[in-house]
Amino acid sequence: MMRSTILAATLLAATAMATAAKADPDNFTEVQRGRYLATAGDCMGCHIGPDGKSLAGGNLLETPFGKISVPNITPDNETGIGHWSAQDFYEAMHEGKRPGGTHLYPAFPYTAFTKMPRADTDAIYAYLRAQEGVTNRVDRDTLPFPFNIRLLMAGWNWLNFTPGAFRPDPQKSAAYNRGAYLVEGPAHCGLCHTPRNFMGGDKDGEHLQGGALQGWFAPSITANKRLGIGAWSEAEIVDYLRSGHTERGAASGPMGEVVAYSTSRMTGEDLRAIATYLRERGAAGAAAPQPVAAGDARMQAGAAIYEDSCAACHTRDGSGVAGMFPRLADNQLVQQPDPAGILHVVLQGSQSVPTPQAVTAPAMPSLRWRLTDQQVADVATFIRNSWGNAAAAVTTDQVKAMREATAGIAMPQRH
Amino acid sequence: MPLTTRRRLLAATALVAFSSQAVARSVTGRLPWSPNEAYPPDVVRPGGWLFLRPEEAATLDAIVSRLIPADDLSPSGKDLGCTVFIDRQLAGPWGTYEWLYMQPPFAEKPLPTQGIQSPLVPQQQYRKGLAALTAHCRDAFGGKTFEQLSAEEQDTLLQGMEKGEVHLPGLTAPQLTTTMFFAQVLDNTIEGFFADPIYGGNKDMAGWKMIGFPGTRYDFRDVIANPGKPYTKPPVSIMGRPEWNGKPA
Repeated sequence: MMRSTILAATLLAATAMATAAKADPDNFTEVQRGRYLATAGDCMGCHIGPDGKSLAGGNLLETPFGKISVPNITPDNETGIGHWSAQDFYEAMHEGKRPGGTHLYPAFPYTAFTKMPRADTDAIYAYLRAQEGVTNRVDRDTLPFPFNIRLLMAGWNWLNFTPGAFRPDPQKSAAYNRGAYLVEGPAHCGLCHTPRNFMGGDKDGEHLQGGALQGWFAPSITANKRLGIGAWSEAEIVDYLRSGHTERGAASGPMGEVVAYSTSRMTGEDLRAIATYLRERGAAGAAAPQPVAAGDARMQAGAAIYEDSCAACHTRDGSGVAGMFPRLADNQLVQQPDPAGILHVVLQGSQSVPTPQAVTAPAMPSLRWRLTDQQVADVATFIRNSWGNAAAAVTTDQVKAMREATAGIAMPQRH
Repeated sequence: MPLTTRRRLLAATALVAFSSQAVARSVTGRLPWSPNEAYPPDVVRPGGWLFLRPEEAATLDAIVSRLIPADDLSPSGKDLGCTVFIDRQLAGPWGTYEWLYMQPPFAEKPLPTQGIQSPLVPQQQYRKGLAALTAHCRDAFGGKTFEQLSAEEQDTLLQGMEKGEVHLPGLTAPQLTTTMFFAQVLDNTIEGFFADPIYGGNKDMAGWKMIGFPGTRYDFRDVIANPGKPYTKPPVSIMGRPEWNGKPA
């Protein structure tokens, strides 16, 4: 009796010590593994706080259903997730549920994070716990009716969500499986690169074939040669993810942020694994349309505009200047079915992402002031249908909508 | 006196150095760039006069059309918009020499290197010069205005002004001599003939077409390696060219 009591007490103490060791922020290896996974998951991309360095949240994500505010995930007890257990965190990542069972919105990509095993979510949890708590209260109810009813997500999940950890394909290489895990799990590439159905769920059967977001179009990343990465070498994909730049062009817009916060900080081995997976998982996408004929009035006007407004950098034959001005001939971005990317860049200008490997970050100036909607449509149609490119003609309505969507930042006053 | 000057100069230099530091900034991380950033030019819209009075514009139309007559090489200075160009320049910051140091002393017999030495700003020079020309014509040609003279009479008169043989009434050194006035009008007419069409002159880029100037193009890598062959591409203005902007530049 006495002995069993002592034994029980000892066991209890041992358990308590083990728990304490696990929660100890000095658990360096676990925290570092979690930091890396949090980087691969680009938590910072959405959860960046007002201080520009913590994960204190507060951003408003634009979605077709309204604005979703991004929560504070620092371990602050009042305004962050300080009171969450590792189990709570796992359930959020795996099932999209908060402690207490209310639903998260799938702007938080639990549809991808569900692929992560418990060991990986625990590592991220340990990393998050090791950060300093930042007090930043975020209003979590910014969506309009009826989307503010979180219970609706139960039905959404039933239609659009299959929980379950990643299962490697034993027929494939370790690199392929690692890449598949990263792409489909923590890196959640499909959140942007897969088109959405009317509910905002993944369109079945069009996985990674390109999707619209925030006035941009995340291009196809299937192995399709015309629209995806099928023509890219492994080295080009790795360079793009690591430095944001290849001889073809550069990352800007939302992908520039992904490169800055996430892929540029991933290991070469993981980037090669991603390239292996994307290149081997197969091609998909519509066949090339008939290009708009060179004799078409829009093409002729577009050719003249191109020569006077674009060719000085991108060159008359669309070959660009390697490492500086993107190549437009055989360029996947400009041939996407949705021309949002090219229109965004022409109207608003764009700066590529600076990384330690490519510090220059060349930028394109805005041509909003110089070209009318018709002229932008014509030159975009010309670029999308020249030098072997083929894509649908751009309409003035598309340009008008993009001009309004990108007008947000006022032109500076003249000096 | 030299000491005072030097001290003043040093003080002025220090002031410039000090105040220009206020606008200096250091760039780290990434090169400055902002979405939608642009500094579009103010494009001259034809129609109406902003500075010239109608009778002044009529006289100036006649002058620029003798300096650049319509011929095989180009349309006339008037038809090319030289008067519009001068009017808009006079109405802008140049018209009052907004950016020039305009305090005396002004040299009475300036060296060529001393440049303009008149206390009059261009608006005053044109107003005074054109009035003097009108007065001269009224007295010398029986009440006619300059534009009512024959082309030969106009040429002779302009040549006399250029050579200093004709003295328009009231134009004297150091403020404004007849030759100074003529030189000013000639310079501005040439500027209107060759400046980008956005400034009101050089209509249809005719000045550029005459001399084969390519306009605002600046990448010639694909045509530069053709020595001896003519350059055939059309010129382009800051606002484009008729092939795509739908209106004569």
